[in-house]
Amino acid sequence: MTAQRQASSAAQTPHLSAAELSYLYTSLSLPNNPIRPDGRSPTQFRPLAAECDILPGTNGSARIGFADGTQAIVGVKAEVEKTTLTADTLDARSLSLQSDLGPSGDGREGTEGSSAATGGHGSWVQMSIEIPGFRDDDALPVFLAEMMRESLVGSVGGKDGDGIERGMAGGLKGRLVINKRWHWRLYIDVLLLSQPLSYPLPLLSLTTHLALLSTKLPKLKSQGEEDPFFDDDWAVAEYLYPRASAGLKFNPSQQVRPPVTLLVISVGENVIFDPNREEIAVADAVLAISVTRDTESQGLKLLTIRTIDPPSRLTQPGVPNSENVNMLGATAPGESVAVLNPATGEEEIPGVWRPRRGGVKRSVIAGMVKTVLKKGGVGEEVLAGLEGVQVG
Amino acid sequence: MPLDTSTTYPLTRLRLDGRRWNELRLLQAQISTNPASSGSSYLSMGNTSIMCSVHGPAEGRRGDAAGSSGAVVEVDVNVAGFAGVDRRRRGGGGDKTSSRIAVILRSTFQSHLHTYLYPHSTISIHVSVLSSDGSVLAAAINACTLALVDAGIPMPGLLCGCTAGMSGSASTPKDPRHDELDPLLDLSLPEEQELPLMTIGTTTVVPGGEHNMDDDEEETTVALMTMDSKLHSTYTETMLAVGIDGCNQIRELLEDVIKGSNRG
Amino acid sequence: MLKLPLIKLEMNDRRRINGPPGGTRPAVFASHLESSSAADRARRERQPTELRKIFLKTGLIPSASGSSYLEFQPSASLAAARETPKSLIPPSSALKLACTVHGPKPLPRSAAFSPNLVLTTHVKYAPFAARKRKGHIRDASERDLGVHLETALRGAIIAERWPKSGIDLTITILEAEDDRWWADAPDSHDASWGMMNVLAGCITAASAAIADAHIDCLDLVAGGVAALVSDDSGDSSTTSPRLMLDTDPAEHRSIMSACVVAYMPARDEITELWLKGDSSKAALENGDARSAHEALIDGAVDAARGAYSVLGDALRESVLQTIQS
Repeated sequence: MTAQRQASSAAQTPHLSAAELSYLYTSLSLPNNPIRPDGRSPTQFRPLAAECDILPGTNGSARIGFADGTQAIVGVKAEVEKTTLTADTLDARSLSLQSDLGPSGDGREGTEGSSAATGGHGSWVQMSIEIPGFRDDDALPVFLAEMMRESLVGSVGGKDGDGIERGMAGGLKGRLVINKRWHWRLYIDVLLLSQPLSYPLPLLSLTTHLALLSTKLPKLKSQGEEDPFFDDDWAVAEYLYPRASAGLKFNPSQQVRPPVTLLVISVGENVIFDPNREEIAVADAVLAISVTRDTESQGLKLLTIRTIDPPSRLTQPGVPNSENVNMLGATAPGESVAVLNPATGEEEIPGVWRPRRGGVKRSVIAGMVKTVLKKGGVGEEVLAGLEGVQVG
Repeated sequence: MPLDTSTTYPLTRLRLDGRRWNELRLLQAQISTNPASSGSSYLSMGNTSIMCSVHGPAEGRRGDAAGSSGAVVEVDVNVAGFAGVDRRRRGGGGDKTSSRIAVILRSTFQSHLHTYLYPHSTISIHVSVLSSDGSVLAAAINACTLALVDAGIPMPGLLCGCTAGMSGSASTPKDPRHDELDPLLDLSLPEEQELPLMTIGTTTVVPGGEHNMDDDEEETTVALMTMDSKLHSTYTETMLAVGIDGCNQIRELLEDVIKGSNRG
Repeated sequence: MLKLPLIKLEMNDRRRINGPPGGTRPAVFASHLESSSAADRARRERQPTELRKIFLKTGLIPSASGSSYLEFQPSASLAAARETPKSLIPPSSALKLACTVHGPKPLPRSAAFSPNLVLTTHVKYAPFAARKRKGHIRDASERDLGVHLETALRGAIIAERWPKSGIDLTITILEAEDDRWWADAPDSHDASWGMMNVLAGCITAASAAIADAHIDCLDLVAGGVAALVSDDSGDSSTTSPRLMLDTDPAEHRSIMSACVVAYMPARDEITELWLKGDSSKAALENGDARSAHEALIDGAVDAARGAYSVLGDALRESVLQTIQS
């Protein structure tokens, strides 16, 4: 019961007193330069150690350890599977009346390929997250897995204006297509090695990104619509996400890359990245924002936004001196005057913690997204940092 | 091309992966890999790799009368979905193999550790099998030992695990005159699937004082022995001897790891 | 040569008699009664900013402390198809769901102390709700919906007024929205778009049921959906996608990006936001400085405002009824 409750909230609420929460909130909401408990700047991530290709038995794997000791290991495994159209996608073309659909003016149908075979299907990517202390059908692992999976399959790579393919038409889904009848199924297993000390999303997302970058698929030897068979030689295997090579000369910022999901909180008017457990406990709003490289505009593009239930809603309120029976008579009358907190729109007495209520203003969301997407902003910095991890 | 050890071995006296009968796979280990736990280790024997972390001794759950005489050991084994050759989906809360390993580890370490020093407390061990290529239980024992050493939990000696098998099905009595079957040490997954297999765990009481120079043979205790396969009884002694010998080799390797980490 | 393992991924529920697992397909004898063209696919006949009508009624389940029933108006194409059937398969489906609230009731003795009201949400599709049968065990998407819904409602409920208590909120989806037109094969922009409409409906219905259970809230939360759709057929795919409110995925060829919000008009705040899809290519009208995702959020908020007016009326109606009776 309690595990369930905590699971759906952003993290296990740390046992902080109302005074501690209020102190944290005040220091984090200082206009323009919030003071974080560990002295980081608002956009700074915690130091981490990362390595790739650690498990020879997988198609791709990665490990990231945060300095606080939380570690995640991600293993990617690919299997070949026969493409079947499931019952919910009863394809008109699989029925015998397909010739009637011919002149309907639909270009894709004219090329007689069912678009499932070119577009791929989101269910071909499966993700499971194991967190110690949670069953794998608990709310937290399921929510995290869905969150990361949907940005992964949602990212659609494109051709650029002059028609040069970036190798990933149709994004990850398209890359998994072998031919009309066969496709790859990708299993992404995420293993958190210790109880999460903070909301594990950034750790899991970064590790998954690295594992996918290092994922290789065997080189296809069969051609066209034959049953697929592959080159035994692992050395010629191809990366799932194509890498820069001598023959192709596009700069790394134009390549299709797996998305990263960033955890962003807003406290007062400040936007803070990669919050630790204490910081997330006082957040006004928590957003998970997935971004990836935009192959066309060199910038970043937004894939998903999800709100996450801020744990500050579940905290215990502080009692102002004016209402505290023990302090009766000890306070000057004018000492605790409620002021309007511009961020939450509620009357608050400074220094007295109130659990958050209500939602987020649209302007706050817009501000948070802007900080992520901005040129030279945190999103680009993170992607560049991950690119720097030696793969192979 | 012969595909299993039982056909290659009589011809070449080499096993499928090119080892001789008494050779261990490459064992690599590291301790203190995870600063968030009291003790942790990473151990790989060939392609089997395991991460282990220990939490505790910590205060046990309230209302738990079980720990009144000493610490309670809890073991949680998690085999990653990507550990095997084919990706395996975990159904709900763990499967048979992993819970079996957990039970064996729990009972072994419960009796091995000096738990009486920590009444009313819990020592929880979390084992993640990252890749399984045979001898998982033995590797898990070794990884747990290292993590427990890292956590500083007192024990009489290092508990080392190893597997032993026979190079054939060994269903007929042993013929002392021309014995074709050799015992094998440290089985890999393909061997484990076709050959009889025994997992042995031994420990030594650390020799102290003037007994230090005495032969170790006397001090070795078998702490664990499991076998699920069928084997003629005349072969058990050979396998046991090989297994104990393997455990001694592993003990030296583990000691090196522990000493090495102290230096660094 | 690699092995090609074909695996079955079905969770078995041994306590019930299950239908066939996903592998089999119902016999389809003919989808078209007469030779037809693609013209019989569902088409949106509403304005881009026009919402579907919503039927919402509270207090239908007497044993629950609060309940509501919500239904979206079926699209015009469905009505047309019923009049003059061209195909045996209905062209689109409309959302129907029932929501019950039990509580506030004391937390079980084993639960830890909570100074706030503990909200538990449970979203379940009826096995017949979608075109593909759903099992009796909640799958990942249903659990995911439950978390979304919980986030949406927790921001609205004034939880500290019920310490040490909990409410259980259960939603049964009787008919779900399609993710795409049934005869379309999934394309590269495919995702479970129908789920977003379902979530919006869940939020509105749950808010009504919570109000019906007399639980204090900051405001009624209403759910709204907006999407960027490109309806053009293959050859003219260069035209930019347009913003539409309350999209029925069956009516559109390709949804690029969609957004659902849970919105409290009184405070102008969003308690839940779920946006997905590629919105980078969308071109807005001239003079619109907003980026595509902001436009999407604003659109979804507008849709939620529409649902809010229905929500308010439905509750007013039920209050008047109680007073009169």
